Amino acid sequence: MSLKFKQFVIAVLGLMFLGSLIFVQWMEVERKKHESAGRQAPVAVPASSQRCVECHAQGNPGIVEQWKFSTHAHKGVGCVECHEAQQGDADAFLHEGALIAAVVTPRDCARCHQQVYEEFSRSHHAAGGDILASLDNYLAETVEGARVPFNPHSKTPGRDDIQMVNGMASASLGCKQCHGSLVALRGTDGSKITFRELKPGPDGKPTDIAAVGRIQKDQNGKPLLDHDTWPNTGIGRLNLDGSRGSCSACHSRHDFSPRRARQPENCGKCHLGPDHPQKEIYEESKHGAAFRDLKDHMNLDSDSWVLGKDYTQAPTCATCHMSGHAKNGGRITHDPGERLSWTNRPPISLVLDTDINGKVVTATDPAERQKLVVKSAADKRTAMKQVCANCHTPDYVDSFYKQYDDLVVLYNEKFAKPGKAIIDAMKAQGLLTKADFDEEIEWSWYYLWHHEGRRARHGASMMAPDYTHWHGMFEVAERFYTELIPQAKEVVAHAREAGKTAAADAVTKVIDEILARPEHQWQAKK
Amino acid sequence: MSAIGNWLRERIPVHGDQLRELTNEPVPNHLKRWWFCLGGTPAYLFVVQIVTGILLAFYYEATPQRAFESVRYITDEAAFGWYLRSVHKWGATLMVAAVILHQMRVYFTGAYRKPRELNWLIGMCLLVCTLTVGFTGYCLVYEQLSFWGAQVGAQIGANVPLVGGLMKSMLLGGDAYNERTLSRFYVLHAAVLPAVMMLLLFVHITLIRLQGITELKFGDEKPDEPRFFNFFPDHICTELILGLVLMILLSALATVLPATMGERANPLVTPEVIKPEWFFYVTFRWLKLFSITVAILSMGFIVFVMFCWPFIDGWIRRRWPGSEASVWIGILGVLAIVGLTVWEGAVAH
Repeated sequence: MSLKFKQFVIAVLGLMFLGSLIFVQWMEVERKKHESAGRQAPVAVPASSQRCVECHAQGNPGIVEQWKFSTHAHKGVGCVECHEAQQGDADAFLHEGALIAAVVTPRDCARCHQQVYEEFSRSHHAAGGDILASLDNYLAETVEGARVPFNPHSKTPGRDDIQMVNGMASASLGCKQCHGSLVALRGTDGSKITFRELKPGPDGKPTDIAAVGRIQKDQNGKPLLDHDTWPNTGIGRLNLDGSRGSCSACHSRHDFSPRRARQPENCGKCHLGPDHPQKEIYEESKHGAAFRDLKDHMNLDSDSWVLGKDYTQAPTCATCHMSGHAKNGGRITHDPGERLSWTNRPPISLVLDTDINGKVVTATDPAERQKLVVKSAADKRTAMKQVCANCHTPDYVDSFYKQYDDLVVLYNEKFAKPGKAIIDAMKAQGLLTKADFDEEIEWSWYYLWHHEGRRARHGASMMAPDYTHWHGMFEVAERFYTELIPQAKEVVAHAREAGKTAAADAVTKVIDEILARPEHQWQAKK
Repeated sequence: MSAIGNWLRERIPVHGDQLRELTNEPVPNHLKRWWFCLGGTPAYLFVVQIVTGILLAFYYEATPQRAFESVRYITDEAAFGWYLRSVHKWGATLMVAAVILHQMRVYFTGAYRKPRELNWLIGMCLLVCTLTVGFTGYCLVYEQLSFWGAQVGAQIGANVPLVGGLMKSMLLGGDAYNERTLSRFYVLHAAVLPAVMMLLLFVHITLIRLQGITELKFGDEKPDEPRFFNFFPDHICTELILGLVLMILLSALATVLPATMGERANPLVTPEVIKPEWFFYVTFRWLKLFSITVAILSMGFIVFVMFCWPFIDGWIRRRWPGSEASVWIGILGVLAIVGLTVWEGAVAH
């Protein structure tokens, strides 16, 4: 080997070594990116937020650090851009020379994310606050708590300040932290001032000046928010400006991490537990198992996160219900109901044909339905099937939907409709009191549809066999045969003893007709 | 510039020509074949180990409480820590391999013979130091296997007749693995052994320079071709090529197969399978073949024979001139080493 050739080889090898070091540098950068969840520190703090950052970096360094690594910070969106308020806003106050509000609402986010705001506003998520007048809320506010404050049962040693019990605590910390609170300002007269009193116009500004005049403020002029309703990041929060929802429910405020919003743990803040264990169901499914195994390869930090293009390893909640995929051109939706064809929330599952207001069409007449339906369940199912098609063949997907439909129909027809018919008959005949949950059978019925029935249906919808059967249909059947029916018969017997023969006969007829059907004939005749 | 040169020459009275004369050793022609340059390879890797070792030492903490966590920090959090640790780990593996290959080359070419017997002894010492530094480094990670590997190593030492107990206590700093054991391994690994190796290397290279490199003849060489070529720049370029190839190889291994973390050491749970680093597979298999005392005594004897081989070989050659016994013994030795290593590597227990 000549000296010249050796020198050439050295040059080539030197370049290769340099290349390997560059590769190492790339790996290190990727590692750091992964560690910081794909976020990078901003180049500079926007001038408008310089003062906020300087001060809050001392007082609340956590929020400043979270913001620094956010996409917002990277794109020059600072504190004021989100927190700024307009003159006349009910909760606006002057803070260090800037007019701001503590609560950032979807209307504020809409200044930059108009389309997202519109999609979200027509979603079921945005209507989450409507539960505030529902049976669930009745449980938390009345059965678990009390709608009016009451005196303590006895003294609490060391806490002499406990003079009254807030009966709404369970609702405030339970229901409302997921469903959203009715955000209120404290009134000078002790009342709560919500959007209902403020009557905001199309621009979100209050129109009831008298209500605005009653807002209680601190010595710095800052309107005081009601403790029962704030802090709150419930998805259907009813805001003072009339908007619904809270973007930070999914996009955690200050770091607004898309990575987090893409992961099932994020949805798991609310979609879990005995009555809607979607997170646990997902974890049990093959989808969840694949996610746990392959999470690190799913490009969760990527700006673009399109199924079939940026990742294929496993779907998360966001993948199926919201994210873009290769077969829809990567279009994201912020209405997670856009791809759902059944609603399994009510006692009896309903086909998700929705009207112009996004309400489920319950009319039975086909012509009437045709008139009312704006978005059909069939279209929504097609949208979901497109997601499935990224990984499954059409035959496979169709067969899955046949299995899912069969389970929902089985639950509806064998237990839900009969159960409801019995409860309705008892109410119609005056065999149940007007108050909910004051009779054992009302608890049984609630457990049947609200807990066990939902578990079965949600389990079927997301391929979790254990939830479909053992936590679902098995318990539905047990509740129906060993509690609901015997308890109904007992109520009827008591009614008969009390001389309410006609009412007892009417309810007995309903029960007998149900039990005489072939699907209930498995029981031995006694 | 000349003013600076003059200033320096006045204070360091060595002329450039003298320096060239000192370093520019005539290199025998056979070293143009790169596989004869393996002697430089371990030296090169030794430098890599020193540099990466110093950088790792910035973070490493030699206590049972902190050792594993500090290695985890290096691997998972420190900037380029994973790369440095991986290069250090693979550097150790390649260094052991290079030392063994170099020694095999020296053995089969008879380069240990008179007047180079002393350099063979130094080389043997370097081999022992290399293996020991590998063993102590492996123990520092404080994983299950490294912890229990140290226990096995200490137990082997304990079984050496007469001095076993003393050896074990010296190694562990007590009767059993304790709070002070890791710091012993660390001092041996990062200070004592490298210093001894530097000293040995210096003597090794000085002896090579004084005696010259053993000249080997090949059939395809032309009779009128010069027998030597220049160390600089010809041979240094070959060494540079080897060095760059090694660095690329190390980088590739570190990125494709980076060093990982095993389970943290748990003195209360003995792992089902204990395996040392690959270069101790021979010893480990040997220990399993015989009773512990027989295995240790026989190993000690083999190492003693290896140390004395230049003198044994000299005696054989004087007794039976033209004998090829050393080659056959060498082949048997290599086959035994390879066979036992593969055997140990292939089986679970």
